[in-house]
Amino acid sequence: MRANGIDPTTGFLDRGSCLELVGRLAAGTNASGQRLAALWIDLSRLKQVNESFGHLGGDLVITQIAQRLREKSAGRGEWCRMGGDEFVCLIPNCDADHARQLAQDLLQTIEAPLRFGELFLHPSASIGIAILEANEDPFAFLERADRAMSTAKRQGGGRAVASGEEPMPGRLGILLAREELAIENKLHLALENGGLSLHYQPIVGFDGRIEAVEALMRCTADGELISPVKFIPVAEKTGLIIRLGEWSLLAGARYASELDSAGYRTKVAVNISRAQLASPAFPQALHAALLCANVSPELIELELTESLFMDISETVQTNLHAARAAGVGLAIDDFGTGYSCLANLKDIPATKLKLDRAFVVVLPHDRRAFAVVKAMTQLGRELGMTVVAEGVEEQAQLDALREAGVDAIQGYIHARPMPEEALLNWFQQRSSS
Amino acid sequence: MTSTAETPPPLSPVATLLESSLKDIGIPPRPTILDRISREMAKEDPDYKRLGNVIGADVSLSASLIKTANSPFFGFRNRVRTIHEALMMLGLDVASQAIAGIILRKVFPNSLHLERFWDASARVARLSGWLAQHVGNNRLRPDDAYTFGLFRDCGIPVLLKRFPGYEKILAQANAEEQRSFTAVEETQLPTNHAMVGCLLAQSWWLPEEVCLAIRHHHDAAILETPAISPPPASRYRIAVTQFAEHLVQRHSGLSHTCEWPKLGTACLRLLDVTEAEVDAILAEAVTVMTTEE
Repeated sequence: MRANGIDPTTGFLDRGSCLELVGRLAAGTNASGQRLAALWIDLSRLKQVNESFGHLGGDLVITQIAQRLREKSAGRGEWCRMGGDEFVCLIPNCDADHARQLAQDLLQTIEAPLRFGELFLHPSASIGIAILEANEDPFAFLERADRAMSTAKRQGGGRAVASGEEPMPGRLGILLAREELAIENKLHLALENGGLSLHYQPIVGFDGRIEAVEALMRCTADGELISPVKFIPVAEKTGLIIRLGEWSLLAGARYASELDSAGYRTKVAVNISRAQLASPAFPQALHAALLCANVSPELIELELTESLFMDISETVQTNLHAARAAGVGLAIDDFGTGYSCLANLKDIPATKLKLDRAFVVVLPHDRRAFAVVKAMTQLGRELGMTVVAEGVEEQAQLDALREAGVDAIQGYIHARPMPEEALLNWFQQRSSS
Repeated sequence: MTSTAETPPPLSPVATLLESSLKDIGIPPRPTILDRISREMAKEDPDYKRLGNVIGADVSLSASLIKTANSPFFGFRNRVRTIHEALMMLGLDVASQAIAGIILRKVFPNSLHLERFWDASARVARLSGWLAQHVGNNRLRPDDAYTFGLFRDCGIPVLLKRFPGYEKILAQANAEEQRSFTAVEETQLPTNHAMVGCLLAQSWWLPEEVCLAIRHHHDAAILETPAISPPPASRYRIAVTQFAEHLVQRHSGLSHTCEWPKLGTACLRLLDVTEAEVDAILAEAVTVMTTEE
């Protein structure tokens, strides 16, 4: 009987069986005076997965998430699939606090990135919670969970809302989700219509040498410039960051090669995402870029954000060493504020430490910050790294950084990020003055 | 001096400075004509006549584009005679990719003795265009299959140019019956032609699914397991051209590669073709191959 009521993709009960079960459980609960909780879970982004990768892709996501849900709930509750991307969990003998705790746990387990080949998908979900009231109609009870879920979704998703706690519905969440989709489309447009470019900001040593230039991505679609603050998070969510990263690695490497041929031998620093470094194909992609650009590897530096060091997998470790073996430099970006762990620092074959601007803005007056900068600089030196300070705008900051022993400076005090031609002009002016 | 639409603006001092260095760059930069087309495409009312004049200035490019537009798989009833007609019939996006395919062959130095390589690519590309109409339930446009056929192996001439010993590696990879083609390359190189080709295509701003198909075209696991990346559009491209290559080799009786035993089953499954149907498709394809020679 029940074999027919099972969803073949997930092994969960199907909609019909769910409605039948909730009736039975509600009757039992009402009789015993115990509580029954329902969690209504809606996965976001699944529609896009289906549209982009077909239903097979969608099913793959569903299967893996169902597996996670089953493991996380550890035998508590009955799981049902209500439709494409909606699940219900019915938990007998569960009060509001427990239900909320479980909902939070489930959100967390759903949000762990799902890996597909070289792409990462970042699933998220909205959860509605309802607790059966005395003599409540079981269908009305499920409907309350569904409505609470809709509220969670309207608030932007990635959260759980209990029935009865819903605030006035707002439109902000919907607008945000729409904006993300629009940015994703624009990124695709930019990738296929030449809408990406790099701007470069010089990093100047205290000895007057150009230590490197950092490549910063600019993205234009439909004639409109999209801010990195907006497109980078969307690119990270959708996995497009790998393609953007590979594009900028090649473009930056080619520019390094052009600069070299023009007589300005300078390192070009390119930002590398966590997703790129976690890909087993990273060494091949790096070598392909070096080869395609016909550039000496010592002219390329990869900038790694500090968040990378939260969790250094074996693949990341291997890839970092492969990059060093290829002769490419490694810089740790935004050092000192986020996830830096000194224990990690000793394991990473980095060649450069870039101190976060947060330390720079409070100089020269904040003497404690100055002491920290000095100590970090010392540490970097001891580990054989070049130490750079970012975000330097004023002469007094520059003086303090010189006193702290920093090697080089990046910031408006020297130059703003500029397009390729402008940077060449900047070089020419410097060499003629 | 005033610059008209037909004459490019004079080079800035910086551009002159860079011009000589471009020759030494590892992969050919995106042809400027493609930029002109993209700019025109971005307009609400693209000026076909002006583009026609720009393309027409290059006699061999024009001849090749007209020839491509007259390929049987486009199925135009009337023969295309002028560049203007070719652009109108193909549409700018298809024309742009066709032009990219034509120029690809010209941007590599002749000294590499690549004639046979390009001829083979062109043969596979044409048959891929034809196959796209006959198998796989129209999931792939013939012109997309054709362009992919031209670009699929574009990493090979790059590597030939850079590594004097690459020809030997290529021969070993072609003869390899067990490991994947790229795995053989990677025993002696830090990268492989699929990855290099993907980067070239990306830097020419070819569509994402083309880039990913180039990157994975020797990857049996990718063809066999449904996954989120590369998308189906990439996998169909890989399957169609691999099938075309197999038919070309069966027809000529010369198997230069050992890819079909490694990838064939997965390709046929993707294209909904059974082993039993292959002979009949070959018989039909032979007429296409011989008339196109």
